[in-house]
Amino acid sequence: MTSQDAARELLREFPVVDGHNDLPWALREQVRYDLDARDIAGHQQAHLHTDIPRLRAGGVGAQYWSVYVRADLPDAVPATLEQIDCVRRLIARHPRDLRAALTAADMETARAEGRIASLMGAEGGHSIANSLGTLRGLYALGVRYMTLTHNDNVDWADSATDVPKAGGLSAFGREVVREMNREGMLVDLSHVAATTMRDALDATAAPVIFSHSSARAVCDHPRNIPDDVLGRLAANGGMAMVTFVPKFVLQAAVDWTAAADDNMRANGFHHLATTAEAMKVHRAFEETNPRPIATVATVADHLDHMREVAGIDHLGIGGDYDGTAFTPDGLDDVSGYPNLIAELLDRGWSRPDLAKLTWQNAVRVLGAAEDVARDLQATRSPSHATIESLDG
Amino acid sequence: MADLHDEPHTLPEVGELDDEAQAAPFGPYAPLTAEEAAEVAEAVQAAHEPESTPLERARALLAMHPVADGYSGLPSALRHLPCYDLQLGESAVDTDVPRLRRGNVGALLWSLHLPEGLVADRAVGATLEQLDLARSVIAAHPEGLRLARSAGQIIDARNCGRVAVVLGPATAAALDDSLGILRVLHSLGLRVLTLTGTSWAGGEAGLTRFGEEVVREMNRLGVLADLSGACDLTVGRVLTLSKTPVLCTRSAARALRPHPANLSDELLAGLGEARGLCLVPLTAEQTGPGLRDVADHLDHVRAMAGPACVGLSGLYDSGAAHPQGLADASGYPHLIAELLRRGWPETDIALLTWGNVQRVLRTADFTARAAQDRREPSTVRIAELDG
Repeated sequence: MTSQDAARELLREFPVVDGHNDLPWALREQVRYDLDARDIAGHQQAHLHTDIPRLRAGGVGAQYWSVYVRADLPDAVPATLEQIDCVRRLIARHPRDLRAALTAADMETARAEGRIASLMGAEGGHSIANSLGTLRGLYALGVRYMTLTHNDNVDWADSATDVPKAGGLSAFGREVVREMNREGMLVDLSHVAATTMRDALDATAAPVIFSHSSARAVCDHPRNIPDDVLGRLAANGGMAMVTFVPKFVLQAAVDWTAAADDNMRANGFHHLATTAEAMKVHRAFEETNPRPIATVATVADHLDHMREVAGIDHLGIGGDYDGTAFTPDGLDDVSGYPNLIAELLDRGWSRPDLAKLTWQNAVRVLGAAEDVARDLQATRSPSHATIESLDG
Repeated sequence: MADLHDEPHTLPEVGELDDEAQAAPFGPYAPLTAEEAAEVAEAVQAAHEPESTPLERARALLAMHPVADGYSGLPSALRHLPCYDLQLGESAVDTDVPRLRRGNVGALLWSLHLPEGLVADRAVGATLEQLDLARSVIAAHPEGLRLARSAGQIIDARNCGRVAVVLGPATAAALDDSLGILRVLHSLGLRVLTLTGTSWAGGEAGLTRFGEEVVREMNRLGVLADLSGACDLTVGRVLTLSKTPVLCTRSAARALRPHPANLSDELLAGLGEARGLCLVPLTAEQTGPGLRDVADHLDHVRAMAGPACVGLSGLYDSGAAHPQGLADASGYPHLIAELLRRGWPETDIALLTWGNVQRVLRTADFTARAAQDRREPSTVRIAELDG
């Protein structure tokens, strides 16, 4: 049996739980949520990384759909609710393939039924607009993790890619973490500053996740996790879900991206500008500086390291599909997971280890958050703290 | 008959049921459950005993047909209280479980309208907070209150001795002009939406094209339209368009008291034709300073719209001043006694307090189920329809 076959066989029993997929945002941006215009029941390679045939081919058994909204919208809350509505409509539209999941038990039920457990994660504390009531509202609507920040700081937490302000979590930020614990919403530390990671690990009573982050020791990018934080996951019980984004996982791609951004700024454009003139400048750069290509092995290198530092019980996968322009060779879209599993088999990872990586750790972590929530709810009422009262 | 009157009306044993039901004065053709038989017997006793006063008869009637109160401002009133206990009694507000029981209130619509001054661009988040507060208050009083998402769940709550809480009305601004947000709020329990204070209700047509789509999506979900405070054109347009009866959660008779939220005789008649529901507020401002003023409005609305289209709306904890004798949720029996003195038939009172609200909510459920077979969730955006 080739390692590809072995990988597919393993995934039939222990499918992938993926921590982060931006399909809802892609549907919003591309077709304003017109689900007929991007019917994921059929192949959508031309437009999306994600559709049901490729999820099936990739051995995906559970997906945290991101209900991400841009942080620079005047009000993130309504946009977040529309994202939630989109996920629900997707689930209602594809009942043979998708199943709404709110708990670890729901994930197991979906697996038994051969459907893809569909969970939701909010990406960035801006989605609660400094309100614990809104946080609970998102939980009631089915959101099961919240990334504390996106690329920008929020008032109560520092992002990895912004200028430090709170120095980690503020007092209200710690209250947000405690309230997430009480609800049973996982604290997601992807995107946050290392100081925020450490503060959150100090404050949390439940396991945390990194829904899509890799190892900083392998590739030095602020979006990745430093070793001291990876080392704390064992005691915390949480997990780091490795991401595939080339500009985070491949050092050459990190450097190339920095040079490309500098080139854009030197030509008077914002580094993320996508206007026709900006793209012309960018293409000229790319012609003389070929874009470095990440591969399956690049991602496997991260997992090897993360396994050493965090332990096999604290790993998972978070591809960030449809949230990134480029993907590694062999992991081009959601059908690529078997290639990663095959690579790890070739590197000597055992079947039980891989079962933890793909399925078991993620189910355990959500279940543990539910247990903590049940205990906390027995002793604590919902918090009505405000950012004004705690952060002054 | 005598045995019926003299014996305490505990639940009859199985087997006694038929005999007792047939012994009742309403004849052998009304198959009733044991519970209903006992309740009816009790009410019949109260109503027919010569010495029973209108107040006693009112209480007996309310025991069978409690009040479904169309507008309670309690969530907002609790928002700023550091602590409260509705189960034992809470003097800081007009509403608590002991007074709801004394007033024979069986169901409450909890307003999620936003406190004055909450800026509109925060309306969605603020409404989520109101919903969170309402749900946590209900969760904190499991002995007294129960969240009801449908007419059937109101009956369930009543059978369990709980006051049913229906979430709504909320302000239309809470939709942020998005049908997706309407669906999300519905999934959190919202069942009534007030069609005022938005760009798509009002104006020359009463509703814009997007406004019409909102009403259709509300019908599809089972969210009732509240038209109190809407302009007459909007009321007329929604009455024509809606497949589900509409509510006016706080409207009295404009013929008796000019107030912008009160309804003209013409609109009351239109509401009656559409089998909608005018919930008459117990506020000095809209109905007058005395209990009899409220009764006058009820008489008038009943005459104009019909007995199947009138209901009650306490407006407790909304900040409004109440007529004398109706200062809190425990005052309802006095109002019902007044209506009995005025010769209201008991069947009409049963509709007024309970039956009409039940009918409207039940119709909304049925309409929604039928519409969901026919219509996909609408995702049209306001810019596409209203330009």
